[in-house]
Amino acid sequence: MKPSTVQIKIMPSRFKHQVPKYKVTRSDACINCGTCAKTCPYGVHERVEGHNKIRPPIDYKCIGFECQDKDFCCIAKCPRKALSLSLNPMYETLGDYRWTADMITGTWIMAETGYPPERTDIEYNVGNSGGGFDKLRFKFPAHPPRMDKSEISTEIPLNRRNDGRANIVISTPVYGGGMSFGSVSLPTMISKARNATIWNTFTSTGEGGYPEMLKPYDEHVITQIATGLFGVREETIQRVRIIEFKYAQGAKPGLGGHLLGEKNTESVAKMREAVKGASLFSPFPFHSVYSIEDHKKHIDWVKEINPNALVSVKVSTPNDVDMVAVGSYYAGAHIIHIDGGYGGTGAAPDIAKKNIAMPIEYAITKVHNFLKDEGARDAMTLIASGGIRTAHDLAKAICLGADGAVIGTAELIALECVRCGNCESGRGCSRGIATTDSDLADLFGEDWATQRLTNMYHAWNVQLVDILQRFGMRSVRELVGRTDLLEHIDYSHETE
Amino acid sequence: MPKKYHISPKATPLDLDFVYKFKIVRGENCINCGKCTKVCIYEAHKRRKDDPRKMADPNTVACRNCFRCIQECPQGALEKSLEKDYLNIGGAYWKPDMLISLWKQAEDGQVPVSGAGYRGTFTGTGFDSMWTDMSEIVRPTRDGIHGREYINTAVDLGRKLNHLVFDADGQLVSEVPDTASLPIPILFDIPAPNLSSNVKEALVQAATEINTCIIMPAAEITPEFEKYSHNIIPCLMPAEIDTHETVLKKARFVSIEYSDAVPNALPDLKEKIKKFNHALTIIRVPAGKDVESIVAKLVHSGAEIIHIVADYRGWELNSSAGRDGRLLKDIIRAVHLRLVEDRIRDEVTLIASGGIAMAEHVPKAMLCGADLTAIDIPLMVALGARVYEDPVKLMIFPEGLDKIPLSIVTQRMVNLIGAWHSQILEMMGAMGIREARRLRGESGRAIFFEEIDRDTFGNLFRTKKRKAANL
Repeated sequence: MKPSTVQIKIMPSRFKHQVPKYKVTRSDACINCGTCAKTCPYGVHERVEGHNKIRPPIDYKCIGFECQDKDFCCIAKCPRKALSLSLNPMYETLGDYRWTADMITGTWIMAETGYPPERTDIEYNVGNSGGGFDKLRFKFPAHPPRMDKSEISTEIPLNRRNDGRANIVISTPVYGGGMSFGSVSLPTMISKARNATIWNTFTSTGEGGYPEMLKPYDEHVITQIATGLFGVREETIQRVRIIEFKYAQGAKPGLGGHLLGEKNTESVAKMREAVKGASLFSPFPFHSVYSIEDHKKHIDWVKEINPNALVSVKVSTPNDVDMVAVGSYYAGAHIIHIDGGYGGTGAAPDIAKKNIAMPIEYAITKVHNFLKDEGARDAMTLIASGGIRTAHDLAKAICLGADGAVIGTAELIALECVRCGNCESGRGCSRGIATTDSDLADLFGEDWATQRLTNMYHAWNVQLVDILQRFGMRSVRELVGRTDLLEHIDYSHETE
Repeated sequence: MPKKYHISPKATPLDLDFVYKFKIVRGENCINCGKCTKVCIYEAHKRRKDDPRKMADPNTVACRNCFRCIQECPQGALEKSLEKDYLNIGGAYWKPDMLISLWKQAEDGQVPVSGAGYRGTFTGTGFDSMWTDMSEIVRPTRDGIHGREYINTAVDLGRKLNHLVFDADGQLVSEVPDTASLPIPILFDIPAPNLSSNVKEALVQAATEINTCIIMPAAEITPEFEKYSHNIIPCLMPAEIDTHETVLKKARFVSIEYSDAVPNALPDLKEKIKKFNHALTIIRVPAGKDVESIVAKLVHSGAEIIHIVADYRGWELNSSAGRDGRLLKDIIRAVHLRLVEDRIRDEVTLIASGGIAMAEHVPKAMLCGADLTAIDIPLMVALGARVYEDPVKLMIFPEGLDKIPLSIVTQRMVNLIGAWHSQILEMMGAMGIREARRLRGESGRAIFFEEIDRDTFGNLFRTKKRKAANL
């Protein structure tokens, strides 16, 4: 599958307004002459036919201060100087250090248009966390070898063991993270699976069982075996091409999955074979695994049940994550999926999100080098997740040593998540994404959501290809472990 | 197995205003169509009771920042911003979000759980520049609060011998000093002078209910507190010992303010205090520049428990506005390592306080080398106190707090500690540590930002530069 064959279609927001970065203020001096409505090409000002008064400015459509250089700018054109422009205080209520308002807005634009934003007033590649990816920059050569974009490949193989099992190749080095039925709505799950099929990549069921409606997409679904073992059956393991053991999750390392009672609705409970309304806390860890030998027994078990599938091991990032990775190699896993401490979640204790285990940036380096020293790097696929927010994060993760990445939050942002963080309680997400409430889960359709995801994946692929082109590389596989192509905004300029 | 320690939380709303984060304003162009009422699942928008044709002012306390009303209002008439109070409260250390979280924990006593990943900065200062470790597969781990296994948070206070001596007949020759244990590594420290009487009593009652102790100036221990004397630690100057005889006769621990004379006088002081009621002596040492040598000297003179007190933001005392000083995390590490070097670490119990603001600070302080911690301000935030740092430390109590029934004030503090206890269990479970005593100085179970950043990014991105310079 070639990324260039993916169908992009403009898929606008499902809401009337978006969150404005700027505020256009009209003072009392306005005489309702309508000049602004005529001059603004973006539709900020509107004068309805037959109305005397002009309508209040539609802030979110305004492109901001860069407009002041344009000859159609309303502020200059207004005969009464009644218009002024400022930053909108509302914008401060959107986003946070990791996912800035600009980053969320940028992702929304990608999901709408299929391309990175053309606006130059938003920094959508780098966050404001002051560390990790946010301190790394690419060192693009001034004169890279010329490379036509159509020659550049973004595909990666997932089975590097040469063990006779499926030779799975995905077309873009990203796949969708595990979100269980219960944590997110069925339309969200299905759209993720449809998008994975379009992109010839994968999505994961998470630990809440395998809804029948995902069956048409079996080829692109990873089924998860997590400590709660909800809905795990031989039949579901036999259905898929990749099986993922979830030992831990980056957002709550050392703790089991959380599904609070109110979200455990009738359909969720049925799928999980649990009692409706009861909070479901998965145990931690797998109480059948206390050594690499136990771990191998686990992997042998699923390999026996599904003789063709690949096995992925998802772990979080403690100090000894490198040993776990090497252990997983010896135990026979194909993919080591490391999920960093700043990863997303539908529900996790705040204390765990912030304080337990290391950020993914360090873990990638650690695991990549340890596998290399052990001579096992070429036989394993190293997948990173937990804080991969943008295409730039993805490329940086690959430079640090990952083969590809898993994303979760970014997919949900594409579906217009605002990261308000209320996924865990009550009826769940008021925006219809992380909820199984019958009313809320109907807020959007699968076609809309699938296209939004496909668009965002496309925009990321465009950016990734652009990065590869600027490095003069023919394949994303050449980028793996190329830390020499990165610089750190503190260290790289330190002279000792 | 020890008896299971449990703190019973009870939902205890406090009918006083506290800070909230968002503010929504309904613009004049609202046409009272009621769309916001339909889309808001948190009931922040309602019609006016007296005139249902009109919309009421948005109830911003209920707002959870989901943006649906903002995005769906047909008129674009709603505006949201950060609340002024939210922007003004706290400071660089006591961040507004922390205060709101503490207030919430005091209300329900539960571990704060939320959706979406971490939102903060990559790293910070002090305790924010370290992560705790966890284990999966290759080391034993424990279920935290949801498991059936018991995780013990008890700690011991007192002097321990480095080794025991037996005579030829196998009889113990060493004199084993007294120790006492607390079920949780958190003491209460008196938060402020002039507290209203219900708050003061609630502090003592809450400490009693969770079976820890509260450190109080001896002069404030009036006769009505007698029934709580098991859980009160009188704090006084060495010269005041005789004045407070009645109080000392009931105390299990006595806290003595440090002065230069204390190390030499210590053996006599301890004896004198022991005579009243076999109490253990705590020396309260301000965390100044030379705190590690003071502590070492005290331990050599026989100190059994030392309480290191940093300022309310965890800064070293007398450092110029904290800029050239160390933070509690580094102070504890320095003291701990000094005592390890002197081979006297096991002989003394270290209490750390100053800037212990969130549950994670307790296990983190212990990993750095403290045996236990003491807290003050969080107990007041539980009651709605607003903390300000600029221009000077200020704590403002909500109006009407003195009229809140004692049981509610007490329960809120119990709830807070209940929530902290559960959070400590979660962190210990993840670390695979089943005994809080084992946290002390276990820096191998912590990940320090400076170290890991230097070892990974420093190595990757700095060495090349150095080589280039050599060329």
